[in-house]
Amino acid sequence: MEDFINLILDPLKELFLKFKVFVPNFLAMLVILFAGIVIALIIKRFLAKFLAAINFDSWSDRMGFTKLMRRGSMWSKPSAVLCEIVFWLMVIVTLMSGLSALQIPAIDQLVNQFFSYIPRLFSAAMILIIGYLLSGFISRTVLIAAANSGFHYAKLLAQAVHTMLIVLILAMIMEQLHIAPSIVLAAFSIVFGGIVIAIAIAFGVGGIDAARRIIEKEASQKRDERQRDEIDHI
Amino acid sequence: MREHLERIGNADIVIGIPSFNNARTIGHVVRAIHAGLAKYFPEHKAVIVNSDGGSTDGTMDVVHNSSIEDFNSILLHHRVEPVSKIAFPYSGIPGKGSAFRTIFEIAEVLGAKACAVFDSDLRSITPEWVELLVTPILKGGYDYVSPLYHRHKFDGTITNSIVYPLTRTLYGKRVRQPIGGDFGFSGSLAQFYLTKDVWQTDVARFGIDIWMTTTAIANGFKVTQSFLGAKIHDAKDPGADLSSMLYQVVSATFELMETYAEVWLQVHGTEPVPTFGFEYTVGLEPVNVNTARMLNTFREGIRNLGDIWLDILGAGDFGEIERLGALPDSEFHFPAGLWVQVVYDYALAYHKRKMPVEHLIKSMTPLYIGKTASFILQAKDMGQMEADAEIEKLCQEFENRKHYLVTNWK
Repeated sequence: MEDFINLILDPLKELFLKFKVFVPNFLAMLVILFAGIVIALIIKRFLAKFLAAINFDSWSDRMGFTKLMRRGSMWSKPSAVLCEIVFWLMVIVTLMSGLSALQIPAIDQLVNQFFSYIPRLFSAAMILIIGYLLSGFISRTVLIAAANSGFHYAKLLAQAVHTMLIVLILAMIMEQLHIAPSIVLAAFSIVFGGIVIAIAIAFGVGGIDAARRIIEKEASQKRDERQRDEIDHI
Repeated sequence: MREHLERIGNADIVIGIPSFNNARTIGHVVRAIHAGLAKYFPEHKAVIVNSDGGSTDGTMDVVHNSSIEDFNSILLHHRVEPVSKIAFPYSGIPGKGSAFRTIFEIAEVLGAKACAVFDSDLRSITPEWVELLVTPILKGGYDYVSPLYHRHKFDGTITNSIVYPLTRTLYGKRVRQPIGGDFGFSGSLAQFYLTKDVWQTDVARFGIDIWMTTTAIANGFKVTQSFLGAKIHDAKDPGADLSSMLYQVVSATFELMETYAEVWLQVHGTEPVPTFGFEYTVGLEPVNVNTARMLNTFREGIRNLGDIWLDILGAGDFGEIERLGALPDSEFHFPAGLWVQVVYDYALAYHKRKMPVEHLIKSMTPLYIGKTASFILQAKDMGQMEADAEIEKLCQEFENRKHYLVTNWK
């Protein structure tokens, strides 16, 4: 009879012991979560004030971020969006830290994976931001230089440069995030190579007359300019 | 060079010539200056300084070897004081500003009372130019002498349509050629220039001309101008890019608006500055201009840069620009009021840093070309006086609309 009772009580005792170990961990997780969320809220508030002080929204307007957000149907202020992003990133980090306090091997492994992924996520975000700014700058440089020389297709040329740079940046981001790197590399090579071949064929075969006309027009304009423009602007 | 300066000791007049690969033309400039000093300032100790940017065509050798051998052929008497010549490569950021800085430093070391600078590619310089730029300093008590040239009515369009009207309206002095390139200034003004912390900025590279003029006016120095006759200089580099030229001149002008905002915001109205020299008409070579190509560039600008212009000018003025683009060449006319709004809106966009400076100002090029084409079409049958009257009307428009700039400048 005693054996039978032990047979019933042992698992309960074991469950109780496990529960005794789990409860402090669980409480630690709740404390971490609570503290993390409070800290995230405080940082969010300070960040909002800092961004307002440095006129981040006006800067975003100038850099074209606001326009980009509107295209994606985001109607909040850029500073508010950045505050939300920072807040939720901190909440996720807090959640992961809290979960690791539970000391459950499977969750620990997941948390480790998450934290080892953060540097990649960070560098991908940097590539996105710098790449976006740089592609905008380069395409506008091309647009203005081409328009100032009277090139009819300046806008088209600038858009093509912008698109190619964005494709390049997206490929770099995917590669950085280790999202199907071999497929991304192959797809990028095919798309980029395809564009170059398409342009070569279009100009070399299909659009040979159009290409000749464009080149002749450009050459004659330059000749014209050399022959006839004699005014001294300064 | 220090030893050379110590040997010279001091000088009353310092004449500076900045150069970079000007071996073909600098000899004539040096000889004209030499003759001018001998003829008009025989009792003054003078030094000619060639501040060179590292020429590889022997410019400095030409300077050393250029002098008037036979003074009897041009003068009735020889000068009393000899003229010293110094030619050396300047240090610092490559550019005309750095070359000038060295000339100012030499003027300070030698204790010069009067200085003048001349471009090294001048073909029309005469000995009288030295007298006209130096005498108002030595005898008239002026600190800064700006040049006044007779130029073809289609020449100097950046000066005529932007720099002159804007500078005159902002600072209240009608200095006709604020970026002429040949100036006279007092030794004390040269010292004042050296106190300014601009020698590591774009002023060292380009924009020194407008910087010197504006600094002199805005800081209350006595300013005048001298009529020098026609300005003919070496054929410009055919590869020189108009939008780069526009960027250099306009960015320097806009940057000075930032520096002296407290000055120009208080200025109301304008006044003429005294003019020295005997004005006479000079024959100028005809100039060929292709207005059809210019208008094509303007229309391509509307097509391609419309989004940027809309952002800078606003819907009202951009609508007017679009309307101009639809006009046939024969009816094309860029109204003065609209052009003033364009310049002021660009100045405000620069002030508010709406986009990178180079993009901002270079995007103005087709608008400037459109305005220039309009002026050429309008003035093609006009005489010089009538063309000048049109520029005066434009200046009046700048002055009448200054309140818009003042009101929107925060």
